[in-house]
Amino acid sequence: MSENVSENKVDGLTEFKSWATLTLAAVFVFGFAVGGLLLPDSEVSSAERRPLAQMPELSIKTVLNGQFMGDFDAYSLDQFPLRDDFRGIKAAVAAALGRQDNNGIYAAGEHLAALEYPYDAESVRYAAGRMQYVYRQYLAAGGGKVYLSIVPDKGYFLAGESGRPALDYQALAADMQEGLPFAEYIDIFGELTAADYYYTDAHWRQENLLPVAEKLAEGLGVKLSAEYECREAEQPFYGVYAGQYALPHGADTLRWLTNEQLAAMTVYDYESQGYLPVYDESKLDGDDSYEMYLGGPKSLLVLENPAAESDRELIVFRDSFGSSLVPLLAEAYAKITLVDIRYVSPAFLGSFMQFDGQDVLFLYSTGVLNNSITIK
Amino acid sequence: MLFSGIPFLFYFLPLVLVIYFAVPRGGKNAVLLLSSLFFYGWGEPKFLFFMLAAILQGYLLAILIEKAKREYPGGKRSKVFLAASVALSLGLLGYCKYADFFITNFNALTGLSLPLLKIALPIGISFYTFQIMSYVVDVYRGEVKAQRSLIDFGAYVAFFPQLIAGPIVRYADIEADLKDRRHTVEGTAAGVRRFGIGLGKKVLLANQLAELAAHFNAAEEKSLLFYWLYAAATMLYIYFDFSGYSDMAIGLGRIFCFRFPENFNYPYISGSITEFWRRWHMTLGGWFRDYLYIPLGGNRKGQGRRLFNIFIVWAATGLWHGAAWNFAAWGLMFAVLLMLEKLWLPDVLQNKMFGLGVLRHVYVLVAVAVSFVLFDAADMAAAADIIIAMFGGAGVPAVDELSLYYLQSYGLILLLAVVGATPVPARIVADLGRKKAMAPLMAVAEPLFVLGLLVVCTAFLIDGSFNPFLYFRF
Repeated sequence: MSENVSENKVDGLTEFKSWATLTLAAVFVFGFAVGGLLLPDSEVSSAERRPLAQMPELSIKTVLNGQFMGDFDAYSLDQFPLRDDFRGIKAAVAAALGRQDNNGIYAAGEHLAALEYPYDAESVRYAAGRMQYVYRQYLAAGGGKVYLSIVPDKGYFLAGESGRPALDYQALAADMQEGLPFAEYIDIFGELTAADYYYTDAHWRQENLLPVAEKLAEGLGVKLSAEYECREAEQPFYGVYAGQYALPHGADTLRWLTNEQLAAMTVYDYESQGYLPVYDESKLDGDDSYEMYLGGPKSLLVLENPAAESDRELIVFRDSFGSSLVPLLAEAYAKITLVDIRYVSPAFLGSFMQFDGQDVLFLYSTGVLNNSITIK
Repeated sequence: MLFSGIPFLFYFLPLVLVIYFAVPRGGKNAVLLLSSLFFYGWGEPKFLFFMLAAILQGYLLAILIEKAKREYPGGKRSKVFLAASVALSLGLLGYCKYADFFITNFNALTGLSLPLLKIALPIGISFYTFQIMSYVVDVYRGEVKAQRSLIDFGAYVAFFPQLIAGPIVRYADIEADLKDRRHTVEGTAAGVRRFGIGLGKKVLLANQLAELAAHFNAAEEKSLLFYWLYAAATMLYIYFDFSGYSDMAIGLGRIFCFRFPENFNYPYISGSITEFWRRWHMTLGGWFRDYLYIPLGGNRKGQGRRLFNIFIVWAATGLWHGAAWNFAAWGLMFAVLLMLEKLWLPDVLQNKMFGLGVLRHVYVLVAVAVSFVLFDAADMAAAADIIIAMFGGAGVPAVDELSLYYLQSYGLILLLAVVGATPVPARIVADLGRKKAMAPLMAVAEPLFVLGLLVVCTAFLIDGSFNPFLYFRF
């Protein structure tokens, strides 16, 4: 074999083209290969809000059963140099190719939203089944009133209008009501518009939720009359969709409603066995500013209102939408217990809580109900 | 390991290239063999034993065949060795790929419940066993000499560019390259270019269109438009996936200075199914022609035998693609169409009357679309449901919002894929290259295009989790 022998009749342009092709391809492939080996690995992706795969354990066992290879594939994707920039390139090219969403995230006007489709009746049945379990196990004997309310994801307002496939929201609401015949349904769909949600996040804006809180209060049989001061975070808020969409998008401004009564309330967190503020401003500097409402994802919280005019208590089974809403109901109750059965199995609740006739509200978003695998 | 994966592109390939070009010429085939075994073992280490056993039997029995032919000309000994090698190859393939298929059908026929063996199919087994069989038969026929170097023979069988998705390379195709290769900058650059184009076909077209097919399968409501979008996406993604892999294989071969045979030649521009199969998976068609159809008698033993031979070859072609009845039906569908074309339609297919040409293309495209629905479906019942619905038998609406959304979201990609499935882009590039005024621009644009493809494909691989491997059934 003779090496690197140039063909005889190669003109200058062909030679240039060949060398240029080889050089550019080699610089790209070898450059990123070496970069991948030398650059330190990251623990998490703040844009995607998830932990990144780490170098897998190399052993005879993991090689022979193929686990090392599978994990290395994931590791090489997650730790690729300039990963977020490449994600941006992909999103831009996909958009140029006419793709209407990028990894299920789409832009509709100023809003970014997730495709929530198709309607998963089985998922909704499962969610209803877990709530039925809670009712049978803890609530039925107590005799308290049980309510159900469903928070529409913003696709309810944006998907149809922007030509995206939309969930069958009527079927979802009907199936939930049928699945929870013991609960009185409070319909809040009409109290919301797309403007009540952050542009870059799945969640709703607390400062716009007073009509929703009033509708819920009316259904729950309590009255709200508090006045609030609206505060604004100095830090820009990039919601969960901003990173997933991968293309540049303006930031949101996060605001919260407060008053003296809220400031005096205490929030006990069973996980940390300590007290939290209703609004934890230190979270504004974290990856997800929305966690400032009641400390973010928490399995079991108790919010106590020393200035309450009654001794009524409320238990809210909820997802993250409840974190920003519940403070607006707090004035009407002496104690509100917030339970997130995505983080604590309902089978264990009896060890931490007493169910003795409190009002109970199941408040869940369509996104969680349609993807209920996370509910324990 | 997949060509369209980060571990291959940024770890395995650069490392192999460095070692390959660093070692002296006498060690290069050993580098190719060892790296190919690593490549194969990466996904499924235990299946290395199957491949090594297959290599060993092909190597030894070919030498014995040659020796027997030399020492006992006209004797039966060489035939016995040939039969033994073919039986071992088919036995391995049958055990790994078809055992459970036969047990399932045997149980269904007899009412027995023999337990399934549940053997995971070793990737690429259909490709490498066919290569070994062709080599052994060619040695028996005296068309090639038996390879005395186990390393060279192992490198031929296991050579990673063509190991898991073809093309099916015959030993005669690369015998000379195994002995002596002349590496040129132009050849290597052409290989890089071809690899980049194949990667683009796989990642930017096939994967996107396969996503559309997956959306169809997940959708709860389907319209007539959605059924046809699915059919179009399926026939195009299978083509771009398969021809993309072939391009990557051919490109990698050129980087290492091997010339592999072409595998696809714009099959969707065909005017008949006969022509389609001259343009689709050409190395498989050629294999079945030379090692099954002609030995069975081809068209030399009368019309009845010819039709029987076509039936056997296409049943085998179907089952080669997968051990399930929908694959057999897929092959037999082509057998029926080919028989029709040969017996009753030759005049129609050759008639130059205005309008017939368009009709011929429509016939081929519809037949192939239906065939790939059959190919892609989970089973015969699912395929039948889709095919019935495609022709209005399911009573679904013509159009709905969901299908319009997916048409909007994938319309441009479908259009690019349709154009890309014709020779038009290649002709435009060739025409531009021939124009003197454009030559300098093309000399700059082409390397940038290849770099752009690598960057964009890398971006899609990093961000997308959808990178299916079609060849797990082959």
